[in-house]
Amino acid sequence: MKLRLHTQPEVPLEAETISPDQLAGKSEAEASALPLYHGKEQVALGDFFTVTGPMRNGAVEVEGDLSRVKLLGHAMSSGRLHIRGNVGAHLGAEMSGGEIAVDGDAGDWLGREMSGGRITVKGNAGHMVGGAVRGSAVGIQGGEIIVHGNAGNEIGHGMRRGLIAIGGDAGDFAGVNMKAGTVIVLGHLGIRPGAGMKRGSIVSGRNTELLPTFSYDCVYQPTFLRYYLFYLRRLGLAVENDYLSGPYQRWSGDGLEMNRGEILLYAGPH
Amino acid sequence: MSEGLTTVKNAICTFCGCVCDDIELTADPQLGKITKAGNACQLGRAWFLEHRHEDRPTALIDGREATLEEAVDRAAQILVDARFPLIYGLSDTTCEAQREAVAIADYINGNLDTTSSVCHGPTGMAFQGVGESTASLGEIKNRADFVLYWGGNPMEAHPRHFTRYSVNPKGWHIPNGAEDRTLVLVDVRPTQSTHGADIFLKVNPGSDFELLWALRSLVKGRRVDASIETRTGVPLSTLTDLVERMKSCQFGVMFFGMGLTMTRGRHFNIGALLALVTDLNQYTHFVAMPARGHGNVTGADNVVAWQTGYPFGVNFNRGYPRFNPGEFTASDILARGDADALCVIASDPASNFSRKAIEHIRKIPLITLDPKPTVTTSLATVAFTTAPYGINAPGTVYRMDNVALNLRPAFESHFPGDEQVLRAIKNRVLELGGLSPGGAPH
Amino acid sequence: MASAIRIVNGKVYDPSNNIDGVVKDICILDGKIVDKVPADSTTLDARGMVVMPGGVDIHCHIAGHKVNLARKLMPEDHRRDVAPRDKARRSGTGGIVPSTFTTGYRYATLGYTTAMEAAVPPMGARHTLEEFHDTPVIDKGFYVLLANNVCLNQLLEQKRMEEFRQAVAWWLNASKAYAIKMVNPGGDEPWKGRKNSNVTNLDEKISGFELTPRQIIKALIDASNDLGLPHPAHIHCNNLGHSGNYLTTLDTMKTAEGRRVHITHIQFHSYGGERGKNPISKAPEIAAFINDNPNVSADVGQVMFGTAALMTGDAPLTWLLRNMTKSKWINADTECESGCGILPFSYQEHIYTHALQWAMGLELFLLSKDPWRMVLSTDHPNGGSFMNYPKLIKLLMDKAYRDETARAVNQKAIAKTTLLDIEREMTLQEIAIITRAGPAKLLGLKHKGHLGVGADADITIYDELDDREAMFNAARYVMKGGQLIIDNHEFSSDCEGRILHVSPEYDAGIEEKLRPFFEDYYSIQFDNYPVHPRYLHDDVRVPNLA
Repeated sequence: MKLRLHTQPEVPLEAETISPDQLAGKSEAEASALPLYHGKEQVALGDFFTVTGPMRNGAVEVEGDLSRVKLLGHAMSSGRLHIRGNVGAHLGAEMSGGEIAVDGDAGDWLGREMSGGRITVKGNAGHMVGGAVRGSAVGIQGGEIIVHGNAGNEIGHGMRRGLIAIGGDAGDFAGVNMKAGTVIVLGHLGIRPGAGMKRGSIVSGRNTELLPTFSYDCVYQPTFLRYYLFYLRRLGLAVENDYLSGPYQRWSGDGLEMNRGEILLYAGPH
Repeated sequence: MSEGLTTVKNAICTFCGCVCDDIELTADPQLGKITKAGNACQLGRAWFLEHRHEDRPTALIDGREATLEEAVDRAAQILVDARFPLIYGLSDTTCEAQREAVAIADYINGNLDTTSSVCHGPTGMAFQGVGESTASLGEIKNRADFVLYWGGNPMEAHPRHFTRYSVNPKGWHIPNGAEDRTLVLVDVRPTQSTHGADIFLKVNPGSDFELLWALRSLVKGRRVDASIETRTGVPLSTLTDLVERMKSCQFGVMFFGMGLTMTRGRHFNIGALLALVTDLNQYTHFVAMPARGHGNVTGADNVVAWQTGYPFGVNFNRGYPRFNPGEFTASDILARGDADALCVIASDPASNFSRKAIEHIRKIPLITLDPKPTVTTSLATVAFTTAPYGINAPGTVYRMDNVALNLRPAFESHFPGDEQVLRAIKNRVLELGGLSPGGAPH
Repeated sequence: MASAIRIVNGKVYDPSNNIDGVVKDICILDGKIVDKVPADSTTLDARGMVVMPGGVDIHCHIAGHKVNLARKLMPEDHRRDVAPRDKARRSGTGGIVPSTFTTGYRYATLGYTTAMEAAVPPMGARHTLEEFHDTPVIDKGFYVLLANNVCLNQLLEQKRMEEFRQAVAWWLNASKAYAIKMVNPGGDEPWKGRKNSNVTNLDEKISGFELTPRQIIKALIDASNDLGLPHPAHIHCNNLGHSGNYLTTLDTMKTAEGRRVHITHIQFHSYGGERGKNPISKAPEIAAFINDNPNVSADVGQVMFGTAALMTGDAPLTWLLRNMTKSKWINADTECESGCGILPFSYQEHIYTHALQWAMGLELFLLSKDPWRMVLSTDHPNGGSFMNYPKLIKLLMDKAYRDETARAVNQKAIAKTTLLDIEREMTLQEIAIITRAGPAKLLGLKHKGHLGVGADADITIYDELDDREAMFNAARYVMKGGQLIIDNHEFSSDCEGRILHVSPEYDAGIEEKLRPFFEDYYSIQFDNYPVHPRYLHDDVRVPNLA
């Protein structure tokens, strides 16, 4: 099934109904009748999108500049959602399965509180990738988020399980308060990565100064990382050969918590 | 109005978050002037004595004088017609007015935000993450033998904070006032406030979080590398000494200001300070408090929270309150160009928001309520001149420590209060929307 | 709607008037219950339904500074439970600490029309009354915290008993309170002033004073009786939650020496065992004492499994628990008056202590011979939300359901109680007593909790269903002061509800004696301290007992 944005929303458009779960088995007419929220107004999907259906093997394509469209693929559990263009906030929030691919950039709260499935973004992502909402201690609990470009602050905030990989740079407080899971940033980390982390791994392809509550352990060549990086390469992320086998500094932290988290910083040549 | 001069004892100053309630006003209602403001600080005196009845119409539509009814009708029409109406400001008006504003946002399925989001919003977010040990200001006066200010300059921003609440006053367990207290200031530069401090920690800009994290580490008895000095500008020995003083005091308090909330790290800076204070309760009684700026920004947090469950940044598009700072906060909404109508109460975003946000404000219908002309009111489609709270308008305000006070206005104004204008807009909104307010005056 | 209404064909449960499930008409005129109305009055057919007075909650935490702190603390809890605006209701959010509008509407949904906020420091009275103004439908009042009041303690210490009594009366008037509340008497001073310590027995000297908790308790019990307040001193005893605290509780009740006293959330105060070790149930001992002492009443403070929020003037307790759960914690001290602790919490079936607390609450209900003096509460939100009342009622009325639930929780705990041996199932009449008639009587609210002529027309009509939880979960009709609020399960109108308060007489001379203390130790002016009458809006000044 293909959805093409024919009218730019004037205010944010909330479109949690645009997901394979909701569109499954719907005719073009039925799909066009699904409710969306244009600001405070309830509108029909057809008011903004031209639908050419039907949905085959769970695949939905959405085309256009969707940077004002929020909550696409919200809570989706299966199928494929392919977004040709930029997309707004909360893409794939609370998703538990299936796959989302974005050709352009994604907004804030990408994969917020997701528990399964995979999101791949070719461009950049905003803040709080795989993060928690305010007041909640738990962010992404499973699944994979792969961003080829850069990401903003607080990626993996409160992360409990899963994988977040950023091909470019990440903002401040990457992996803040994380409980477990893996955050890989091939480019630069912003300041204060892993603040308050209990367990889990944060990896970066560049060196950076860590908080005073992280302690240096050693330089070594982590085998598990090799597997992760090969896997990311298979998923289409450009991973330099040096990173695969190169030496990494290992730091433990956060000393204010259980000190069972690790930050690995690539220590080889570029 | 009464003949000659009137005096008001125990009047309440709403200029800043101290909300001092011991002001002795002498006013001339005929001239609409206050001639004396006993006990007030220089800021409070200016607030009271510089008050003049504005020589402006009560209501302007597209810059032309209009009746209150016409303006109320136009304002309500704008709010009802908009798809994403935003109501913003509210920290310099009464709780009674704030109530009406939340009601309007509810009835129009709009978005409501207060100036908290651009001052102590990060404090609210940090609070939601780690909680807070706090106290009313009189408890500081009676018990605090260790007083610390982080990223604030009370002598200039809250001139009576030292003298009335935290440093100079004698208290039940502080018989000698300042002598019985240790005063610590933490800031990136010396200020008027740092001069009087027993200890001044000059921290490198942007390293507050590292410093707080190191202090937490020391409080927990963990070792911190001496390199902390090169990062934060504060020697390790100073930190260990500070930690000893904090652990061994009887009752400690940390006040914090926008030097901490609005610098890189924002809510995490505050979260670190609140967590440090909680940690210290393992050893002694320790509390923290944001030094709030506006006279009733604390009331705004309270009213919005009890009516919606959330302190600021609340969106009603779906018919019920939703909260998400960054998504539903005014500066972000406007910078993204999301709102298609704006109502500003007692605030001036057009002079202090980002360039992108201000460009958008200029593009959309704008309603303003303000006692004085501002950059924002000059852009307004509908502009109401209202009576300033505390001076003319009665109502309730909350001090920075959440203590509610009942205002004692000096005299009436011929301008309506924000409360009256907002209630009229609310009632017109209900008529236009064919909504019933139920049986209750909510 | 018409002000004259006749409810017909309903089975009426009105314990105060000894009406137990009799089908009879109830006539309403201008918000009151009358003996007859004109023949052409609106009739409401309650065939197959149960008619009761509106519910009365004697102890909950629904408004004021501490409640609002808890609201602000838990956005993650609100967002999963939203309350949209509709034709009769403002929007809001729910969860364990709902917004004010949602609180009022949800009480109404359960058929409750009166609720009492149980812990407000005098300085917080204005804030509480502001929230009451936005808490619709229900009538409400609050209890004012006086057992850690520095000024009063100094008067006591100096044995100035007459001035003490005058000052208590002044404070009740100044704050517009309904009753005197004691929380952990004497415990604030060590908490604030002695590095977070606490008092542990009634005869230990309170740091900073020549005074013991027992002296404070006695003085305030006497004051509330001598002033003839409609509700006696309302006590949250010392040592809440500690193993072995049932002795402190017995000691506190004995301190009343036969005078009226109310012990609140008594379940939390009925533990045997050694301090610091696992508790065991002493509910039978506590129930027996109350059975034998008609001057004592209590509400249970039932624990219900699931989310809760600890919210209490007993800050040391929340700090203790915070160090176990490590979750976000709030402490909030009020100068010269009180402390406060807040902690998100959850009671879990598999945990020994939680299961024991759950079973002990039920023991207290079912072992008490006089339901008029052991009334229903969960100490909302401390033991769980008031939204649990229907489930709790089912546990009390249905032994099969009760035992089935008991077998699904920690068995070590259940084995330490008599719960499974208890055959008693409460009747609808007994439920009407513990949820309406009893609390109203204990509160001295002569116009509430019954359906006799002259009573407020606060009336709830439930479908009579075998599943008592379903029955009490959603009232079919709710009338508040004669106004139909819920009409056939739908909210049809809204009303603000009234403020209930007392105003015992006092000698104005006391003000000049108190003024110097305020000038020295408070941070607001004495003249700005008393609550202005405008905060009362629509109020009822409840008279003293004759």
